[in-house]
Amino acid sequence: MEQIKLTINGKEILTTSEKTILEVVNEHKIDEIPTLCYDERIEPYGSCFLCVVEIEGMNKLVPSCCTPVTNGMVIHTDNERIRSSRKTALELLFSNHYADCIGPCIDNCPSNVDAQGYIALISLGKYKEALELIKKQNPLPLSIGRVCVRDCELACRRDIVDEPVAINNLKRYVADIDAKHKWIPEIKPNKNKNVAVIGGGPSGLTCAYYLTLEGYSVTIFEKLPELGGMLKYGIPEYRLPKKVLNDEIKWIIDLGINVKTNIEMGKDFNINSLFNNGFDAIYIAVGAHKASNMRLKNEDDTKGVLWGIDFLRELPTKTPNLKGTVIVVGGGNTAIDAARTALRCGADTVKIVYRRSIKEMPAHPFEIEAAREEGVEFLFLTLPKTIIRNGNRLSAIECLKMELKDAKPGERPRPVPIENSEFILECSYLIGAIGQQVDTSFNDPENECQLEAWGTIKVDNNTMKTSINGVFAGGDTVTGPYTAISAIAHGKIAAQSIDKYLSTGKIEKQQKPFLSFKHKLSEVSEHELEHIEKIARNKMPELPLEKRTDNFDEVELGYSDGQSASEVLRCMECGCSEYYDCTLRKYADDFNINISDYIGETRQYKVDNRHPFIVLDSNKCINCGRCVRTCSEILEVSALGFINRGFKAVIKPAMERPLLETNCISCGNCIDTCPTGAISENFPFKVLGTLRKENHRSICNFCSIGCNINYKVIDNNIFYVSNSTDEIINSHNMGYSCIKGRFGHRYLMDPDRLEKPIIKTSDKIRKSEWHEAITFTAKHLKTIINKYGPDSIAVFGSPKYSNEELYLIQKLARTGLKTNNISSFSNLLCCPEQDCLDDSLGITVSTTTMDNIDKADIIVVINSDLSDENLIMELKIKAAKKKNTKLILINSSEIKLTKFADLWIDTRRGTNTVLLTGIARELIAKRKTDKHFIQNKTTGFNTLCEMVSTFSPARVCSLTGIDIQKYEQLIELLNNPDDNIVFIYNLDSRKEKAKGDLRAIANLLLLNNRINRDGNGLILLRDFANSIGLSDMGVSPQYLPGYIKFHENNEINRISSFWETDLKKIFKPVNFMEKMLSGRIKGMLIFGEDPLINTDNFKYFKGVEFLLVHDMFYSHTAREANVVLPAAAYIEQEGTYTSCDRRIQKVKQILKPKCGKPNWEIIANLAGHFNKGFEYESAEEIFKEIKQINRFYKNCSINGFWAENIFQKEFFTKNKKANFSIYDIDMTTLSPEKQEILFSENYFKTKIKNKLMI
Amino acid sequence: MKEIKVGLATCGIAAGGMLIYDELKKEIKNNNIEVELKKTGCMGMCYREVLVEVKDDSDSYLYANVTPDKVKQIVYEHIINKKPVKEWIIKSKDINKEDAFYKKQKQIVLRNCGIIDPSSIDDYISNNGYKAIQKCLNEYSKMEVIDIIIKSGLRGRGGGGFSTGLKWKFASQAAGNKKYIICNADEGDPGAFMDRSTIEGDPHSIIEGMMIAGYAIQADEAYIYVRAEYPLAIERLLIAIKQCEDRGFLGKNIFNSNMDFKIRIKEGAGAFVCGEETALISSIEGKRGVPRIRPPFPANKGLWGKPTNINNVETYANIPWIIMNGPQAFSSMGTEKSKGTKVFALAGKIVRSGLAEVPMGITINEIIYDIGGGIVDGKKFKAVQMGGPSGGCIPASMGDLKIDYDEITKTGAIMGSGGLIVLDETTCMVDLAKFFLNFTQNESCGKCTFCRIGTKRMLEILERITAGAGKEGDIQLLEELAYKIKNSSLCGLGQTAPNPVLTTIKYFRDEYEAHIKEKRCPAHSCVSLLTYTIIEDKCIGCTLCAQKCPVNAISGKTKEPHKIKQDACIKCGLCYDSCKFDAIEKI
Repeated sequence: MEQIKLTINGKEILTTSEKTILEVVNEHKIDEIPTLCYDERIEPYGSCFLCVVEIEGMNKLVPSCCTPVTNGMVIHTDNERIRSSRKTALELLFSNHYADCIGPCIDNCPSNVDAQGYIALISLGKYKEALELIKKQNPLPLSIGRVCVRDCELACRRDIVDEPVAINNLKRYVADIDAKHKWIPEIKPNKNKNVAVIGGGPSGLTCAYYLTLEGYSVTIFEKLPELGGMLKYGIPEYRLPKKVLNDEIKWIIDLGINVKTNIEMGKDFNINSLFNNGFDAIYIAVGAHKASNMRLKNEDDTKGVLWGIDFLRELPTKTPNLKGTVIVVGGGNTAIDAARTALRCGADTVKIVYRRSIKEMPAHPFEIEAAREEGVEFLFLTLPKTIIRNGNRLSAIECLKMELKDAKPGERPRPVPIENSEFILECSYLIGAIGQQVDTSFNDPENECQLEAWGTIKVDNNTMKTSINGVFAGGDTVTGPYTAISAIAHGKIAAQSIDKYLSTGKIEKQQKPFLSFKHKLSEVSEHELEHIEKIARNKMPELPLEKRTDNFDEVELGYSDGQSASEVLRCMECGCSEYYDCTLRKYADDFNINISDYIGETRQYKVDNRHPFIVLDSNKCINCGRCVRTCSEILEVSALGFINRGFKAVIKPAMERPLLETNCISCGNCIDTCPTGAISENFPFKVLGTLRKENHRSICNFCSIGCNINYKVIDNNIFYVSNSTDEIINSHNMGYSCIKGRFGHRYLMDPDRLEKPIIKTSDKIRKSEWHEAITFTAKHLKTIINKYGPDSIAVFGSPKYSNEELYLIQKLARTGLKTNNISSFSNLLCCPEQDCLDDSLGITVSTTTMDNIDKADIIVVINSDLSDENLIMELKIKAAKKKNTKLILINSSEIKLTKFADLWIDTRRGTNTVLLTGIARELIAKRKTDKHFIQNKTTGFNTLCEMVSTFSPARVCSLTGIDIQKYEQLIELLNNPDDNIVFIYNLDSRKEKAKGDLRAIANLLLLNNRINRDGNGLILLRDFANSIGLSDMGVSPQYLPGYIKFHENNEINRISSFWETDLKKIFKPVNFMEKMLSGRIKGMLIFGEDPLINTDNFKYFKGVEFLLVHDMFYSHTAREANVVLPAAAYIEQEGTYTSCDRRIQKVKQILKPKCGKPNWEIIANLAGHFNKGFEYESAEEIFKEIKQINRFYKNCSINGFWAENIFQKEFFTKNKKANFSIYDIDMTTLSPEKQEILFSENYFKTKIKNKLMI
Repeated sequence: MKEIKVGLATCGIAAGGMLIYDELKKEIKNNNIEVELKKTGCMGMCYREVLVEVKDDSDSYLYANVTPDKVKQIVYEHIINKKPVKEWIIKSKDINKEDAFYKKQKQIVLRNCGIIDPSSIDDYISNNGYKAIQKCLNEYSKMEVIDIIIKSGLRGRGGGGFSTGLKWKFASQAAGNKKYIICNADEGDPGAFMDRSTIEGDPHSIIEGMMIAGYAIQADEAYIYVRAEYPLAIERLLIAIKQCEDRGFLGKNIFNSNMDFKIRIKEGAGAFVCGEETALISSIEGKRGVPRIRPPFPANKGLWGKPTNINNVETYANIPWIIMNGPQAFSSMGTEKSKGTKVFALAGKIVRSGLAEVPMGITINEIIYDIGGGIVDGKKFKAVQMGGPSGGCIPASMGDLKIDYDEITKTGAIMGSGGLIVLDETTCMVDLAKFFLNFTQNESCGKCTFCRIGTKRMLEILERITAGAGKEGDIQLLEELAYKIKNSSLCGLGQTAPNPVLTTIKYFRDEYEAHIKEKRCPAHSCVSLLTYTIIEDKCIGCTLCAQKCPVNAISGKTKEPHKIKQDACIKCGLCYDSCKFDAIEKI
């Protein structure tokens, strides 16, 4: 590496060679160069060409991610040419990104209500949240849920499969639920500015609503006696009951809006007077209430001729009694409403006369259908020509037949009268409903709002501002008679503009985000969706026909719970789950792209969701290859690869098989690296598209690596793991997870989680309150102590509980219950050798850290199946191997790691102690030992020499079953004292482990002083997140916190006085197994373990009279318990965990505890019944106490290691020296299978991993 | 009578060469004639295949366009009766019918093609074979060899035109004790067959060239990456390698020199992009053939991360000649910066299609008119397409351009590997650009955004132009995309893919405009833009066209002028082809 000098954007930079331009730019924070195919963790690739930069003297632009810097380079990272190239790259990528950013339903809604989002929330039972989401765009869901024209449903993709999702019915469903117990939004502090809203219809109400939330004082001026506009005066009762509408209006007004009714602009006040009276801005939404005339002679002065809109408006006050035949003229919704209303007003026959055919009718099809059902007749291609009168009373009309001509593309055909086709229709009423106009008589000649040629107010459609400064307009006033949802959209936009105008003085158009849609690139084919099961749309329950005609009762009755639950499942979740995390989309906005020049062929694929957790949507793939490269370079699995050439090149699982049938290990790291939504999680819940998710950094609770992971939380109890945040990528696991870390946490969302304590008495099992359950427990424990003594109580802690919980559990046992019967079933049953290094080093812990394996020349992995148990450790080894570290694997059978090993020593099971002893003999014989260290810091060398002397190569090979050549190779590799060697050993392994293994390893470490040398040592892996914390905290009869042993009187005294408990009487050796088997344990407290999942273990419960179980689930053990206390999950509370290499990490509270309180509080509450000293305010306070008690934690910091270089000063043996271990060779292994006695692990095995079985 | 040779390269075999060979064998046996029947490679005159050379004591006679029924007569009259069949002979002492084809050629690469039996190492040896490598081993140091190559001025014949000697120098200077030689025989340009013919006709010269390169850069292992579509070339290479191994020319301690050299054949699956050196290396390594960014160049980090020298077939074939004849002999040919010769595969609308090796500096017109014999059917010469899909079109007006790397690059085309396709007035230049772009689009590895999607979008624009749906601004859009693709692609494929479009726009912009603005194809080639009409005056009402029309779009009474119903016409052209009175007009 050499020092070089270069110039970037005119700035001189000193750096070193072997870096890429991008690395230098990022390092010096010169610019933020956009990238898609770049992932700092894998080799640069250079395919997206977004990161191009210009180098002076070169014609071409170069990709900065893979161009190395050279001395004297002059680089520009941003100019017109570069931006234009990046922009085109994005446009090209989007032209072949056949995908929907958001559901087309949302896009097609004039107000962009997040339909997919609220459907997802309804599916989760989050009705309140669904309603809140709707009201972000539409404050009138009760009304709109009844009368909307449903542009969303027109766009719904489900239509291609069967029928659109009944989106509006679902909206009404949540709105109806909310109507019973109303959600009240938060209102910002008063801004002391006044806004006048003219017109109390949907648009005015909406504008008033959003302005009120922003803190403005709003006054609505309404010409009619009541608010509601067309919703009230144009829509009949049977479609939108006035009570429902009034309730909804009241809810808005009650937020603090002033209302003035019966007051008309142009008569009672005008724009100038409003400004003069202290209003700062005005929104005009007076609607279009003036009926258009039919251009028939005498229509104004004939009795029996009515106007649809007037007819409907006056309905509430005067319901006419119609008789005979009523003819309604027109084809819009008003015509239909008038016709259906006429029926309800007693008409014998109602006919709708329309000059075009049914196809051209602007009324909504379902409205037409409803009218037909109720008996309305339709006369299409018919035009009224003359009114025939009897005196001035209508008697009939003369009509003409029409024909349709000249349909231009995109236009409605023109109706043309057929000559001599006149005919007479007798009727007693004629209702004109051919349209309405805006009554602009309010316009003040002195300060006139500019109008459009057709009589509506002229506005800027992006901001709703009119020609007058400070005056805005929207709704029908601007569009002419149109839809309620469009009026609402205008109200919302106007509110935003008014807010901008009043707070900044400027009105800016809001930039709309770039959104990709399938239908804008190509027609969405039936074929693409053929795999989707056809499910009929839930029919809206309706009032029976016979009950409709003589009243105005609401016809549509609303969905039942069951209907809504099944309807939400019909949503195909078109919008992308990565909406907020998609890098591609983000850049689209940054570069303001426009793909219209490049629309052409697109690659189209069926979405592949055959994998239970991973969805592959190749339509969204941009060929950046990050997944392929992560899978091959980091994981060395290669489950994904490229197929095809040219435009058709795309990423698919190997051999185009389903992912499950490849080498895929379901770690999901491909999901995180994918910069688009092409690889995403197959969520156990509906895709939540545009819903915001919060990122929370925390750690994984499965194995002892302590991986940092990012929980993405959607509204408290719904979350998933997604590790693409910078801080996670920069953590020690580099943002990588295994299958457990990614998908295993799903059990926390299981509906079976316990929320309330359970008390079991002889006659029944019942839920109880916390106080009762804890008092009940304390009472029973006291009885047992009184009867059998404190030694009859045993307490068990889980290796997955936090340090704070474990500390309290053992403190409860020792100071509260006064017993040293404290342990964990996981250790007792599965890993009895907690102390195997105690004789040689004083404590049994990892002597080095995972960060150190980078520096190793040789890694020796013994008795550890990393791929299954500690995948991230395996990744670290693979990364080290790329830097020429050698890997020696000692394992009886072939495992996934075998093929990566430089040397695989396939010993017979249980003979590894022999092998390791043999190695010691060879090192001593070859005099490859550190004599100085041995002499000064150790004892027992001579005895060791004697013990190993009989392990000649021939004997070792014969006992272990390996070839002599292999053995020689092994010795050859290990015998250089200057090489750095790290041993990795899984203490929880069962199949391979023999008793002397670790003692033999300790001897090897001591022979070359591999204890305090960088890049050397032992990493003791564990299966569970806090197996180390369990020992650190003294959840063991052998140690007090900080590995204080029975002989350490000073330490015992120190803690005794701290705890105000005489530990000398309590802290004594315990023969646990014997005590339990002989039934001497009468009371048992089990925290977070499920030993009875294995019925064999009932033998330990023989004498138990009282059992307390603390767990998140009603586990096998909980079923036997007298009291079950529900537990909070690790992400529901604060705490610290200690990884296998002694790294202390903090867990933050991310979710609210399901059971209502954190575990430490529960334990402290219980302990408080027995002793004082449990009065904590927070988990942090407990940790402070741990630091005072545990000598190794004294100076530790969060995210640091407890006591780095622990053995530098001394060893923790009695003689303060390291002792060579003398051990018996025992070639029997422990029982072959592990017992999974933790609910989480068992859940993972049965409910997560089992899904991967083909 | 000594020997009879049959040209049995792929061109000869395609023309029925094996039938002739078998027939000759049968006749020789039946007539008990003592003559050696040999196979040989391509003699260049592919347009004259099958070629049979009969050598007697005094002369050699080259028979052209030999068909099986001619064999008997040749054997009977020429061999038995010693009376050469003069009318079929194109070359002998007295006859020189194809003199023009050879007159301006200079054969270095093709020196043995069509002369020796490619499956005989002895034939090669007897033509000075394997003397150059021994000369290097015995007389020259490694640096001296590199110097000779540098001095010769030889530039990479694969198309890049980089100095071969310098390339060797970099590889020889690269750190590492394991190095590789690769021969790129992944000839993928449509219409190019120089390398195939060279391997088929003279495999040993390539092996010898590689040996010399191996000696110069101290490599002991080599790969020949050859497409699996060249089975005959592979077969002849395998035979040649086996023969070398048997004689100790390949393997350990070759020519007793302490040098080890092993050659393996790697068959490519026919991906065009694998002709790009980094993709080729990736393919040999067993990975997907995808280019990577350079630097590092293969000379420093190539195959398996080791220093590697890659040259193509023609480059290696030049090496033994240069060593034997000295660098000056080579550099005396050509222009200031382009030395030696270049083999071209002449194809398209040219009279004499085939292989021609010409000295650098010759003009395009000389190649087309003097060597190639001009345009077929006396049509008008419109342009040459050089360099395949990475190249471009040079219009007829620039026919005096000299063959020289730099001169050709200035036109927007490239020298390329030697494909030279001659186009006449009936070729639509937009359609031609579309053809090449379609090729590169399909053959792009799909890695880089611009090459993968950009070329597709360009192709779609060309498709709509030729379909008569071109829009105002399309030419500008094509140019804009083209420059972005050229500027932002990782490898040569993407960087050059727009060349056929850019050069046709440059020289034939009016043709593009005619398509877009007038919806007219000046070359009458784009089907969607064609109109067939019957010229009333010329039509005699013979009804033939109406009978031929597959869609009954032509109607008319016998002996009266017919008419084509334009909305029914599918523009298949059958009427046009069938009319004996030129009464149908194609516009």
